[in-house]
Amino acid sequence: MNEQSNATYRYRNLAWLRYLVLPVMLLTVALLGGLRVNSDGGAFMFIPPPLVTLMLAALLLLLFVRGGLIKPRAWVDYHQSPLTNANGISTLIALFFASAQAFNSVLPERGLLHWLFSFFFLWTLWNNQFSAFDARRLVRSLVVLFGTAFVLKHLLVASLYEPEGGWLKRIAGSLAQGITLGTLDAPTFSPATGYISFFTLALYISALLLIMLTDETEPDRQVALTTPTENEKPELAKLNAVSRS
Amino acid sequence: MRHRFIQISGLALSLAYAILIVWIYATEPRTFREVATGAQLAAGTYQIDQERFQAGLALFRRDQFRAAREEWQRADPAQNDALTQSYVAYSFYREGWGRVYNDDDLFKQGLEKVNRALTLTSQPLTFNDTNLEMQTAAELKSELEQGRERNWSDVNPLKVFRKRK
Repeated sequence: MNEQSNATYRYRNLAWLRYLVLPVMLLTVALLGGLRVNSDGGAFMFIPPPLVTLMLAALLLLLFVRGGLIKPRAWVDYHQSPLTNANGISTLIALFFASAQAFNSVLPERGLLHWLFSFFFLWTLWNNQFSAFDARRLVRSLVVLFGTAFVLKHLLVASLYEPEGGWLKRIAGSLAQGITLGTLDAPTFSPATGYISFFTLALYISALLLIMLTDETEPDRQVALTTPTENEKPELAKLNAVSRS
Repeated sequence: MRHRFIQISGLALSLAYAILIVWIYATEPRTFREVATGAQLAAGTYQIDQERFQAGLALFRRDQFRAAREEWQRADPAQNDALTQSYVAYSFYREGWGRVYNDDDLFKQGLEKVNRALTLTSQPLTFNDTNLEMQTAAELKSELEQGRERNWSDVNPLKVFRKRK
């Protein structure tokens, strides 16, 4: 009886996570990824994802499939109910836009740096397509990739162009601009932008971890995410006992 | 049954959230206040602040046009009320009107506002204000357009005797 109720709770919690929490997390990333706060007066600026971030997101999704983070047939399959498939498709779309906006969040908005960052992202993702990955390694690699880009954009580049920066920073910024003939130009935003970006990336990585964790319940996943009938409930409890042991 | 409920609510919530995100990126609000105003507009519950509108009107009647526009801006932050926008246009007209020459920049802004006001309503837009000589937005628009035209009547010395409407 106890095992059965445990299995029911587990099944219910998984459903909450998979169908409600995960899409909300991904859509929040999609909302906040393009948000910047202007340094003059603190007005919001919503920057839609540039075309290059959509390409990067497509490559990243391919990498998720190759790395086993996403098992497409567990999300959309012909033997699942239309409602389950609709949920799977909507979550995949949310994941695509969340990925695009996560890139948008750490890409400089214009100039040479925008193209340099885009090139390095493309290069890394393209190389990773041919590497052996598992889900855990892939998430770890993404933490490093986004973390590095975050530090470069929101700490290094932002501090160079900070209007209230010290004279040394301003000289370094002017030198960098002069050497690159002004192509290194970057817009200045309020420090709140960095905090928003950090939260967005943390949420994105948490969403990926959530996908990984819910997928790691694989033996009973197919059973857990479809409505169990009365006949299936003892079997579900047995499967849960096996996976726990 | 409960599982189905979770799935349906998840799908509905995702859809509503996605629509909200698209709307936010399309309208690009700059503050939380603008988000709230935009939401009121979308829901059809938007109303101007009547108190501020009257305060603006009082300033307008005392020829304090810039202050009046400030008040009207606060009364109608979404710039979505046809009458308020017409009054803003009228204030640009009165401020820009000159006995010898008109301020082209103010007339241009006035024309933009009156055009906006006219697009906001399908009804003929009237002021119903006895203090104003022009009673409709169409008259105001025509006056602003004429004020921006360049022709030989501009050098007519009798022009200095004309009256501000």
